[in-house]
Amino acid sequence: MAQNKIKDRLPLIAPAKFNLWLFMLSSSMLFAAFLSAYIVQRPDSIAKQTWTVFNLPVYFFYSLIIAMLSSVTMQLAYRAAKNDELAKNKQLIIVTLLLGLLFTLSQYLGWRELLHLDLTFVNPRPEDISASYVWVITVIHFVHVLGGIVLLSIAWVKTAQLNIHKKKLNFMSITNTYWHFVGLLWFILYFFIYFAR
Amino acid sequence: MSTVALKEQDSHTHEHHHKESFVSKYIFSMDHKMISKQFLITGIIMGVIGMGMSMLFRLQLAWPDEQFGILEMLLGKWAVDGKLDPNFYMGLVTIHGTIMVFYVLTAGLSGTFSNLLIPLQVGARDMASPFLNMLSYWFFFLSSVVLMSSVFIETGPASAGWTVYPPLSALEKAVPGSGLGMTLWLVAIALFIVSALFGGINYISTVLNMRTKGMSMNRMPLTIWAFLFTAILGVLSFPVLLGASLFLIFDRSFGTSFYLSDIYLDGIGALENVGGSPVLYQHLFWFLGHPEVYIILLPALGITSEVISTNARKPIFGYSAMVISLASISFLSFIVWGHHMFITGMNPFLGSVFMILTLIIAVPSAVKAFNYLATLWRGNLRLTPAMLFSIGLVSFFISGGLTGIYLGNAALDIQMHDSYFVVAHFHLVMGSAAIFGMMAGIYHWFPRMYGRMMNNTLGYFHFWITFITAYLVFFPMHFMGLAGVPRRYYQFTLMEDFSIWGDVNKLITVAALVGGFAQILFLYNFFNSIFRGKKSTQNPWQSNTLEWTSPIEVRLHGNWPKELPTVYRGPYEYSRPDRDEDFFPQHIKDEESPEVLYTTKTKVAPKKVVLEEESNVFFTAIKRLFGLSR
Repeated sequence: MAQNKIKDRLPLIAPAKFNLWLFMLSSSMLFAAFLSAYIVQRPDSIAKQTWTVFNLPVYFFYSLIIAMLSSVTMQLAYRAAKNDELAKNKQLIIVTLLLGLLFTLSQYLGWRELLHLDLTFVNPRPEDISASYVWVITVIHFVHVLGGIVLLSIAWVKTAQLNIHKKKLNFMSITNTYWHFVGLLWFILYFFIYFAR
Repeated sequence: MSTVALKEQDSHTHEHHHKESFVSKYIFSMDHKMISKQFLITGIIMGVIGMGMSMLFRLQLAWPDEQFGILEMLLGKWAVDGKLDPNFYMGLVTIHGTIMVFYVLTAGLSGTFSNLLIPLQVGARDMASPFLNMLSYWFFFLSSVVLMSSVFIETGPASAGWTVYPPLSALEKAVPGSGLGMTLWLVAIALFIVSALFGGINYISTVLNMRTKGMSMNRMPLTIWAFLFTAILGVLSFPVLLGASLFLIFDRSFGTSFYLSDIYLDGIGALENVGGSPVLYQHLFWFLGHPEVYIILLPALGITSEVISTNARKPIFGYSAMVISLASISFLSFIVWGHHMFITGMNPFLGSVFMILTLIIAVPSAVKAFNYLATLWRGNLRLTPAMLFSIGLVSFFISGGLTGIYLGNAALDIQMHDSYFVVAHFHLVMGSAAIFGMMAGIYHWFPRMYGRMMNNTLGYFHFWITFITAYLVFFPMHFMGLAGVPRRYYQFTLMEDFSIWGDVNKLITVAALVGGFAQILFLYNFFNSIFRGKKSTQNPWQSNTLEWTSPIEVRLHGNWPKELPTVYRGPYEYSRPDRDEDFFPQHIKDEESPEVLYTTKTKVAPKKVVLEEESNVFFTAIKRLFGLSR
């Protein structure tokens, strides 16, 4: 049949971007569940003396600094794309991607330190249930970061193919928003565990 | 950013009538209408299985000492000599609950009608992300397959009740149903949650972001409002269940102790798991579990609003009040989960808070019930099968809702918790009401889905038998529950206090069997009408909403062959005195007021009528809010 091309009224916000916001909302609820469980469990366990208070590995703090830095470079990359500064955009995406990988390394070192302290996911000592929570929260967060790294990698390829520029910003905008989200999430999670340990 | 998005999409055009292969058209379809049919057919199949299971365990409850050859034929080693195995009985109860709650009344109901109606009623070509929508169905399908496969494994399906409380669900060796069956249950639910999230994100995005010109929020049909709130509930609460399930999986499969502490297993001894709390699971589970009640019920209520208004040929009574009620119920559903946990040793003060919040839900629920009745009052009723099922829903909503007030009371719940009173309550208000809403939707929108009509006579038989038997099954259970008969028990004959209910159990089972077999009428009517039903006209119910403006004879991916319809008024403009016809579709322009768009709220004061004095403004506002003054 003949093709019939019709111009429709456009949605107010790009559907993919709108979906991303809803996904982030949904994801936040998952972490809210973990943190709520932590809040409910902690006083009970402390009363029963089944809760170990321990200092978070310093690498997790380094991860926080890296996450904040990468948010800045990501924003600058987005701004560069918006201004059609394509070479700068590409460089900044690569820098952000490298910072993302550095974040991965830092988290790995943090987990290794936890293992050295015998604070394993499956706790040999009953009072180390607090460590199980830290493992769940940090690993599930890291799964989200991996998603961000995939997005950044695609953005990098798209930049190389000149598929990101000021008239084609949708993917860049999605990557930018998501990367800020995972950074902010780590900020909240880190300080929550730090102060509520 | 939105400016950028708009610029990018300026060049965006829609191409219609593109050729599709069999696979892309019927299997991996991205057309919301086809996906809605996939959800519906899968939901019906799961419904038949879930209902069939209930009939099997009802046989056990009615005739606990009898042997049924058919049971052995159907279940093999789970019914040696025709007597149901106690472990499998519990497995049937568990899978029945899981299927009905998640697979029929969540995916089958919301998945079907949100998919069918959201794009069509808001005037969109498709969902915000058709691909995500397709994935939503296939995750649901996969989840169904995994769940059903658990019925056929050596150790049998999960058997800890549909709520799968630990420690029974967290210890693989607790009972046979705590083994592989429970693992498969958890995998199935994880897949289901992914499906629900994909669907919910799409529904919200489409409703808020893709409405056609003129379709302001206050012109949306109540179905869309209901689907929107349902999706919001799902997107906010399903991740919490995912978190709860992850902890459970970690406890079962990795040896953590989130929910476990001080456990002694017969034959194994004390377990090493210490420090966790099974009550934590209940908190997390019911944070989803209670909104889930409304995830099930709200779409049915939305469908009922539409069907009742259309078939009473009257504007829905109190449109704004209906929307506010939906919003209130949705909000309150997030802060009442504790009423499922009154007997966990909860602080009595906290129990009182949960009790008060729970009882407040009665207010918006009552507003909805009264508005349905007021819409029916002096309407020009067309008692189609869809209308009857909608009225049936109102009946169940009231009779089942009233007992919720008893159960929401912390003191009374001590007696009635985990008794047949609870079974009666939720099967009426959530089970029967939602099933009737779903049936109303199927009968009403069948012509929109398949371009043909269902048989009315069969529909009437289906309604009356189902309606009567549903009450015969669930109403006596209230009395059993008040007498303390506990739910999920395999046999009562050895307990003198409970064995006196033997005859009532027989009555319930006979009614359940009659009601169950009556569904054959529906199945025959449904499948036969798809191929042999009378061809439908474009707008068979003379309805106002946009779905009847999209061609029903041809399946068009994109919904409208030309421009999207523009909306000029609300969806419930029935029997307007200035019109010859008793309906006024949303897309038809009002020639008398081409500049000012007519809305359901617009009221032009006739001449010589004295307007309300300033002191009455408050009462006028209240009256308008509840639709008393239009």
